[in-house]
Amino acid sequence: MTIPYNTLVVAAGVAAVGFAAGVVGSLGVLRKRALAGDAAAHATLAGVAAAFLVSGRRDLPVLLAGGLVSALLSLGGLVLIRRFTKTRDDAATAIVLGVSFGIGIALLSGITARGIPGGGGLEQFLLGHTAALTAADAALLAGISLAALAAVWLGLKEATLVAFDPAFAAASGWPVPLIDYCLVALVAVMVVVGLPAAGAVLVTALVVIPPVAARLWTDRVGAMLLLSGCIGLIAALAGVAASGLVPRLATGPMIVLAAAAIFLVSLLFAPRRGWLARRLGPRIPLTFE
Amino acid sequence: MAGEAGHGGPHTVEFHDVTVAYGRRPVLWNIDLAIDAPGLFAIIGPNGAGKSTLLKAALGLVPLAGGTVRFFGQPLAEVRGRIGYVPQRETVDWDFPVSVMDVVLMGTYPRLGWFRRPGPGERECARACLGRVGLSDVAERQIGRLSGGQQQRVFLARALAQQADVYFLDEPLAGVDARSQEQIFRVLSELRAEGRLVVVVHHDLRTAAEWFDGVALVDMRLVASGPTASVLTGDNLRRTYAGPLDVLDEIGLAVEQARRTR
Amino acid sequence: MEPTPFEWSPMHGWAIATAAMVSAGCAVVGTLLVVRRMSLLGDAISHAVLPGIAVAVLAGGRPGGPLVLLGAVAAALVTVGLTQVLRSGGGLAEDSSAGVVFTTLFAAGVVLITAAASRIDLDPSCVLYGILELVPFDTVRVAGFDLPRAFVTAALVFAAILLGCVLTWKEQLFAAFDGEAARAAGMPVTATTIGLLAATALATVASFEAVGAILVVAMLVVPAATAELLSRRLHRMMLLAVLIAVACAAIGYLAAWHWNTSAAGMIAVVLGAAYVLAAVAAPQDGLVARLAARAALGWRVTAEDCLASLWREEEAVRHGAASGGFGGWRLRQRAALARMSWAGKVLWTADGWRLTDSGRTEAETVVRSHRLWEAWLGHHVKLPLDHLHPPAEWIEHHLGADVRARIEAEVGGRDTDPHGRLIPPEQTP
Repeated sequence: MTIPYNTLVVAAGVAAVGFAAGVVGSLGVLRKRALAGDAAAHATLAGVAAAFLVSGRRDLPVLLAGGLVSALLSLGGLVLIRRFTKTRDDAATAIVLGVSFGIGIALLSGITARGIPGGGGLEQFLLGHTAALTAADAALLAGISLAALAAVWLGLKEATLVAFDPAFAAASGWPVPLIDYCLVALVAVMVVVGLPAAGAVLVTALVVIPPVAARLWTDRVGAMLLLSGCIGLIAALAGVAASGLVPRLATGPMIVLAAAAIFLVSLLFAPRRGWLARRLGPRIPLTFE
Repeated sequence: MAGEAGHGGPHTVEFHDVTVAYGRRPVLWNIDLAIDAPGLFAIIGPNGAGKSTLLKAALGLVPLAGGTVRFFGQPLAEVRGRIGYVPQRETVDWDFPVSVMDVVLMGTYPRLGWFRRPGPGERECARACLGRVGLSDVAERQIGRLSGGQQQRVFLARALAQQADVYFLDEPLAGVDARSQEQIFRVLSELRAEGRLVVVVHHDLRTAAEWFDGVALVDMRLVASGPTASVLTGDNLRRTYAGPLDVLDEIGLAVEQARRTR
Repeated sequence: MEPTPFEWSPMHGWAIATAAMVSAGCAVVGTLLVVRRMSLLGDAISHAVLPGIAVAVLAGGRPGGPLVLLGAVAAALVTVGLTQVLRSGGGLAEDSSAGVVFTTLFAAGVVLITAAASRIDLDPSCVLYGILELVPFDTVRVAGFDLPRAFVTAALVFAAILLGCVLTWKEQLFAAFDGEAARAAGMPVTATTIGLLAATALATVASFEAVGAILVVAMLVVPAATAELLSRRLHRMMLLAVLIAVACAAIGYLAAWHWNTSAAGMIAVVLGAAYVLAAVAAPQDGLVARLAARAALGWRVTAEDCLASLWREEEAVRHGAASGGFGGWRLRQRAALARMSWAGKVLWTADGWRLTDSGRTEAETVVRSHRLWEAWLGHHVKLPLDHLHPPAEWIEHHLGADVRARIEAEVGGRDTDPHGRLIPPEQTP
């Protein structure tokens, strides 16, 4: 069976996205901001719909640009709530998540109801649909992913330092808030890039599940990032394969289930930190309280 | 050694009329304190007295509500490279996937600046620092798999790698076994012998009298400071540990209420 | 793009009623979630009930029927249980483990629904944002009336939630305020938590058809968070949350009708607007109120400083200095003096501003605070003399009469400050 060229390119692009999402997500998890991406992810829908309405075009770069704007705005909204109200962080995230998603649904539904040509396909951004990607789209996604990886490579030392001991980093003179914002912005970029593959509702799984699975296998940051990338890559490819086999199925859920399966295997069988290893081997506490 | 203005030249560390607020409530009132190198200096007081806050204020981790802090006569921003910091152990996630060597290398990061990776020179320095605190054999171990005393010594090694002139340590000997305590104290004495200043927030009065040249007694305000023997008098200790200063608490509350507008 | 003309029909009334009932139930549950800082779990459960519902429907349950409710509650408990297992067994942080669990369960639910599409009448996008508009057309016969099934389910769930809330009010209040102390006092904290989670699951399921999974999060958290900005008492907060929720549900539905878009989306948008409005305009905690209070404080400080300066000038004159004719007033101080002259505290004379009797009384209170504080500092802190003035400069505005009495007692009733100046006696207004 010969696989068509288009499918190969799309697969490669989505694989790059999965890998980069795993790597970037690891930094977010290490910085204890695992769900910062969730609010941003739900907000992307509004930006995608708005970009379509404003420009009248359905090209992926246009839609993703809109998604990125609304994602960053939602993160800004989180900062404003934290700064100016007494609402606590968990409620603030839920507010931004729910309201921004509501804006997105309102726009999307309005587009569908008015029968604006081209608007029907926007629903695919809810749960992901790689079958509709062109080779050019995939190349764009891969390009952004590689740029994100380069940024991680460049600033790995700073990101690790701030994630591990922000007080020491601040006392040493590093601009901790700036580094934090860059990290969260990078997560937002990956969330947007992951939209075509996993959809707004589930893309956060791509930046959360591979890192926590990878953590179970290794005690070194570098290895954790690499392994997390690989797990994300495999999960993303699994989603593409499923989408190819059953066109009606959204890709997002398949990617998530693949990642979850790998996580489950890690939870059970990882050496030293896995369930089996801890039952059979010497008792090593997982955290020092 | 402490507070003697007559020796000419700026003090190594000088707190001038420092007031610090947590959130909007003042917790440290009008601290005037000068400390000079070389020396081993302790900051002592009851729990919640603001000792850690004083340290954090000096390092710019907590904003000053009033007054200034100067190092060698200059503001912090100009001399950061000469100041080392060892925070409390509880502030760190010991499950973080880094090794002992990785943590010690972090002390060399400020020298490297943005984006540069540690090279062989930095690794050499880190290995030397690990040797000084007696942790050479656990360099590749993940930090969660160390005892309390070993964890504290990792932090100390990181501070040594900073090659600073002034060191601030926040409760470095709390919850640490006796052998590690002695090892840590030995390293601190070596630093003093090298001409550096080591300022320690300390919890134990008995060892303070033995180990430190100078002491500051702090309970929301400076009760007394100077050479250990003359400061640790019964009268001073009574005034420090006498119990909560209700008036200060009430005023602090009143100010916080008035400033709720922020 | 013409807005749809408002042609009223009973169907719209039922849709609004259903939305209102659904949002009221969510508001009650949400208040407790927000106050107990469990909004994250609310988010997780609203996603994770999907497989529970799917399994229940596959097993033959009717949408909104008891089997489905049971499936939802079971899914909620599984979610919480798995999250705990991952935390203790896998060493994950709480939000990471919740993230793993609810995304996986939601994905499983979507796959179930899509795979069994021939047997389940649940559309994935409906699952995500509901079809409130179609709710009134699916009716059941209750006591001789044709009522929308979703409304009946929502009403029953609301009644159950309200009952549970009233019965366990004391426990919920205590657990919300201080979980540790409640447990130590023997209160059944775990049971109340499980009850709260079950209630969340019920509220989610009841909302499913109306607003779908994701927007349930908005309905749970936003009214409660808005109410939190407006009130500090829990029962008032809950009442406000319900009122806000019902109002926004109605307005949101009408707005969606007018602009021909999803009712669920518009309800969330209106809720967001309500939150922003409260954040800005709330009487005590709103942005406007706080800025106004800050400005008022600044004015008071300036006014008191002017009075104190005038009094010190009088004192200097009493001790023989020539009348200075204080001319160095800044603009802000001139404005404060003008206001005070209108209030009768100062008088403009040919020689400049002068204190009236009432102004002098107030000035003496400020100077008394200042000098008492200097005396206290001198007694307790042993600062050098020139360090005493700046701290007293800003503390003088915050000392009340009883604190002054305490300070006076502590410094032994002396009547001079460390500079040797007289401390004015306490004034009775």
